[in-house]
Amino acid sequence: MVYTAEISRNNPSCFLFLIDQSGSMGDNFPGEIAKKKADGVADAINKLLQNLVIRCAKEEGVRDYFHVGVIGYGTSIGPGFGGSLAGKELAAISEIANSPARIEERTKKVDDGAGGLVDQKVKFPIWFEPTFSGGTPMCQALNNAKGVLQRWLAQHPNSFPPAVIHITDGESTDGDPSQAMSDLKTLSSNDGSVLLFNLHISSNPSAQSTAFPDSSANLPDQYSKLLFDGASVLTPFMRSVAGEHNFSLSDGARCFVLNADLVLVIQALDIGTRPSNLR
Amino acid sequence: MFFLSDVLWAQKAGNPEEEYEDAFWPRTRVSGEWRTGLSVAVADGATESSFAGVWARQLVHAYCRGILNSTNLRDSLLKKQQAWARFVERKPLPWYAEEKVRKGAFSTILGFSMRDGDGKKSSGSWKAFAVGDSCLVQIRGETLLTSFPLSNATEFTNNPFLLGSKSEANVGIDSQTKTAAGDWQSGDKFYLMTDALAAWFFREVENNRTPWRALTDLDTDELPFRPWLNDLRDTHQMRNDDVTLYRVDID
Repeated sequence: MVYTAEISRNNPSCFLFLIDQSGSMGDNFPGEIAKKKADGVADAINKLLQNLVIRCAKEEGVRDYFHVGVIGYGTSIGPGFGGSLAGKELAAISEIANSPARIEERTKKVDDGAGGLVDQKVKFPIWFEPTFSGGTPMCQALNNAKGVLQRWLAQHPNSFPPAVIHITDGESTDGDPSQAMSDLKTLSSNDGSVLLFNLHISSNPSAQSTAFPDSSANLPDQYSKLLFDGASVLTPFMRSVAGEHNFSLSDGARCFVLNADLVLVIQALDIGTRPSNLR
Repeated sequence: MFFLSDVLWAQKAGNPEEEYEDAFWPRTRVSGEWRTGLSVAVADGATESSFAGVWARQLVHAYCRGILNSTNLRDSLLKKQQAWARFVERKPLPWYAEEKVRKGAFSTILGFSMRDGDGKKSSGSWKAFAVGDSCLVQIRGETLLTSFPLSNATEFTNNPFLLGSKSEANVGIDSQTKTAAGDWQSGDKFYLMTDALAAWFFREVENNRTPWRALTDLDTDELPFRPWLNDLRDTHQMRNDDVTLYRVDID
């Protein structure tokens, strides 16, 4: 149980995204009339998928270091991809790379190497659009995820353990999800237990952006605290990568962020030398 | 004085040979009477970046042709960076490959040059420069005389500073460029190693063993290279990575 298994095409790992598409995700963020929580969810998953694909990309194409699934829950629960991936429980990362719904061109500021910033056009693929309707059957969705991962782990017993990325406002409508989160974390490969990351999208006016805390004392409400309690503890390797990104985390740091970026998790996957000057 | 240089290499276990992203120069075994000096180089293209093998090959070739060294690193890199950009822009790429190319390729470089002493032919000088964690060791008799730029196993991480194919990635490169120099004598052996092998080497030294003996004997009937390497990988004594060993023996 050491989280050191090699991640390779011969021994891939797995990412399962659980995304809350319930009606409450139509609420706006405080002070941001034009931005709904559902926009935050879509941004988060598109950015995570983009980063995951890019980490696996080489000149000849995308190497299948990961199998990836998305379960959406709201009015219904089920595989969340559209287009050619519709209905698929899990797909190879290369299939996802080649199947975005559309690709936007965005401009971002980058270091010009001489102390200045320049505008650079980058391609930003979109797999998911903001969507919200129905209740929040979180317990059912977590149980659904458990079934998917049980089947995957039976075929990949020596893998680096799967990561579940759960993006939600935490307002479950089918009961307390604590037990379902706990059950999900009991699944394991020979290398360790499933890692559950909870990304809390909150419209609570008291919510301060927080990443990987080791205590729930400063979290704004019961939803945040519940998601903190349900999240796994970060692995030592992930903590060390976080340290390289100027985070100072204790041994008890949780796989939990509140209105914050989770892309660090993608950077913290050991799939080869990652130069310190690669940004 | 007679010298012999040769190279042993292997791609990461499980990968096809064409995915080997280390590089070395000269490409062929060189041996003979000492004449004008010898330059060899190894480089280790970073898995994380695209077209890293191409970049690593450009770097070792440039070093051995004398157009890349620690004193004119920024200027000499510029031409190589332009050559890399021309290579990767030959054809349209899918969105993810385009994004990866935008970030550039990354590689270590370890260059090593020897010169004869003033006509003595039994001793002389050497110099080396390095960016990243490819390592040089000098063995004299049964003594590890020099380790450069790293000297113990704990110094290896999975995020070293590397030479980027985009100039904006090389901010701070001057402080990351290491140089070394020394003397050689008849009978000395120099080994240039990429990181997985070098980390194993230093771990062995730290455990009071003499790993240079194995490196000397490698690729003989008694110690064929690939089975030796596979055994170290299978027993987790060496990380599964591309491996390159450049050997220079002086008689």
